[in-house]
Amino acid sequence: MSEPVFEARRVSKFFPGVKALQEVSIRLAAGSIHALLGENGAGKSTLIKIITGVYRPDEGELLLDGRPIALGSPREAMAAGIGVVHQERNLIPRFSVGENIMLEHLATQLLRPIDYASVNAAATKWLDVLGLHLDPALPVSRLSVAKMQMVEIAKALSLRSRVLLLDEPTASLTPHETETLFGLLQKLRHDGVSIIFVSHKLEEVQEICDQVTVLRDGRNACDSRSMAGLGRQNIVQLMIGRSEQIPDWAARHTASSAAMAIELKGVATPFGHSNIDLAVRRGEIVGLYGLVGSGRTELAKSIMGLVPPTAGTLSVDGRPVAIRDVAEALHTHRIGYVSEDRKGEGLILIHSVLDNAGITLWRRLARRAGLLFDSAVRRDAEPFLRKLEVRTPSLSQLVGNLSGGNQQKISVAKWLAAGVRVLIVDEPSVGIDIKTKAYLHELLRELAEGGTAILLITSDMPEMITLADRIVIMNDYRIVGELDNSRDYVPMSEGIMNLIHAIADAPAAEAAQ
Amino acid sequence: MTAGLRSYLETDWFGPLAITALAVAVIGGLNPSFLSPFNIQVLLLAIAVNTLIALSQMIIIAVGQMNLAVGAIGGLAAVCFAGLMQVWGLPPVAAAVAALAIGLAAGILNGIFIAVTEISAFVITLASLSVYKGINLGITRAQPFYGVADSVKAFGNTTVFGPVPWLMVPTLVVVGLIWYLLNRLPLGRSILAVGGNSHAAELSGISVSSTLITAHAISGLLAALAGVVLVARLQIGQPTIGDDWLILSFAAPVIGGAVLSGGHVSTSATVLGVAIVAIITQALVLFRIDPFFVQVVLGGLILWAVGVNRWREVRLRQGPRRALR
Repeated sequence: MSEPVFEARRVSKFFPGVKALQEVSIRLAAGSIHALLGENGAGKSTLIKIITGVYRPDEGELLLDGRPIALGSPREAMAAGIGVVHQERNLIPRFSVGENIMLEHLATQLLRPIDYASVNAAATKWLDVLGLHLDPALPVSRLSVAKMQMVEIAKALSLRSRVLLLDEPTASLTPHETETLFGLLQKLRHDGVSIIFVSHKLEEVQEICDQVTVLRDGRNACDSRSMAGLGRQNIVQLMIGRSEQIPDWAARHTASSAAMAIELKGVATPFGHSNIDLAVRRGEIVGLYGLVGSGRTELAKSIMGLVPPTAGTLSVDGRPVAIRDVAEALHTHRIGYVSEDRKGEGLILIHSVLDNAGITLWRRLARRAGLLFDSAVRRDAEPFLRKLEVRTPSLSQLVGNLSGGNQQKISVAKWLAAGVRVLIVDEPSVGIDIKTKAYLHELLRELAEGGTAILLITSDMPEMITLADRIVIMNDYRIVGELDNSRDYVPMSEGIMNLIHAIADAPAAEAAQ
Repeated sequence: MTAGLRSYLETDWFGPLAITALAVAVIGGLNPSFLSPFNIQVLLLAIAVNTLIALSQMIIIAVGQMNLAVGAIGGLAAVCFAGLMQVWGLPPVAAAVAALAIGLAAGILNGIFIAVTEISAFVITLASLSVYKGINLGITRAQPFYGVADSVKAFGNTTVFGPVPWLMVPTLVVVGLIWYLLNRLPLGRSILAVGGNSHAAELSGISVSSTLITAHAISGLLAALAGVVLVARLQIGQPTIGDDWLILSFAAPVIGGAVLSGGHVSTSATVLGVAIVAIITQALVLFRIDPFFVQVVLGGLILWAVGVNRWREVRLRQGPRRALR
């Protein structure tokens, strides 16, 4: 292996009561894409923060071109040539593409007038390096998430970054955009840039990375080894210390005679859905699969009454109903929705565990004159928190202080406590580790066994195939097909992708004729 | 709709400009005395002072905060300006410079407190409002200073040509400078960058704390200038100067499309916002409507402007998705 560009040698980081990292090493070679993997809590984000100068290591050293360096701040890391593209967008929304890319250079001379023509020319140079044909005068708020990300990469390159760290870059990209990004990363690798690729999606890691470092419990499970010869199962084994449990569940026989819990016929919404037919029987798990931006979350929100449908009928338990708001969905029809955006929509982070889990109960438990007692909420909510094994020092702990997995359990628990008969679950395992995920899957399955109708929205194909009885495929705000789940991964995933791409390619085929 | 018209509709100044023109046409049509030279002069006097007040707040909105002490700083500078002339007999220029320095210092103090403590600007400026107003009342004992120099009185009440008052001169200079600052100078772009996304701005090498202090310094300076100019116009150092500035200071930038969470303001549209408020206020006087009703109208205008901004924002967000499908 050639001389590494950047190296972290046996670095450790301690927080009060926690050893976040212990003697972790990573070596980054020029012209390579290096995967950094690990479950939540394995120390990945601590290592990222050390590499990008947010934290200083308590032990060990960082070397750039073989010479020890100290990174006192993110700015110093950037100056040393370590560029980062974070999950949250780090652009100024109302500024133009060009000004965002060149902001660094502008900020050095506060009183020298800006010549926008030369700013745009300089920015175009970096956009060209990436093969991006973007008007540098366009405000970034007009761009798609994928384009914004590319602008961030251009910005990092303009600072002559030799190490580029991408933190979950594909989390909000469509497969097509992901392909474009990967093409770009391969080009950068060819140009000698050293890329760190952090992702939960092992398929992507296998597709694009040539080196891998896996962390487990704050230590190296492997250190900068080649991807060659590593299969998916090997990687999972490294991450969790055992092989991935593919649940060998018996195919469930949801009697097709079971009563319809919820049924949509010819539904259209203000979001742009048209002619949606969808039905979930009691005790059935129906998967709703589609690409990001295909309109799944929007459909869920429409069912919940947040933005009521404009046409078609929605029946609950066989009776046509009109759901005008979420309170009606919950209290009258007993439909619950576990949001994909746990922190933004699912929980109130600065409130306690009990307040979060009990929020759906308040209206039911309120006594005369609206009086509400914690004891009543506790009585009804606590069994579900216990059942889900939420780990918290007490029910008065603030939810924001708990781990992602525990937060997710609480956002599910609050709907269970409300006793819903239809549960819409949107991307339930985003940001939770493999163990918690497996546990959550068992839980959803148990719920279905108990008669709850579940509509599962997920972009995680293995999760979909593990859980769903039937898979309905949505593309561009329409239902494009439905498959019975055979739980056989390869043919199922191919079938689903074929349905999506048959539609996506149709306009192109028409144009060709 | 043609592409040309659409691009006009997306600018901040087009809507306010259309409303200004419409208001002038309608009110002038109903009551021709609205367009008399005297009335235009009165209108321009109000616009001259109020523009300074609005820009003082706009620069803080740009950085993503609010300055509740705009009126208190302006009032303090006003009484100091008049007081220095009356009590110490300072020449007007020296007194004006001292008053502006006091406003600048008051703004810098706000900025330092906010940048160092990281407590919200709302709380800090609420407290400093009380402090500056208290100093004002301590100096004046709630009595006006009458010893304003004749040259100052003349400056506040004569015209350059036609109905254009001399007071418009400093305002026009300030409008030009602020526009240049926010559109061409990295210092002003830093203010907008911090307002748009302070984390990203910091990672791009912009010092957030010094940018905040700069914005508050400019705000204090402009508030003080508004106070000085108002003394020239009223010919008296009233301790109540500044008490009624707060609503107007937010109304004009908001009518001009400013995003209250920061990162986006428009100087020209803010000036038009000031003009709209002045024209409507003037119209209420012309039509002999109860002056207390002005407050209600101003409140209604703010709600309307926020509603329009919200609508534009929603359309902006939906734009790209619609375009893709």
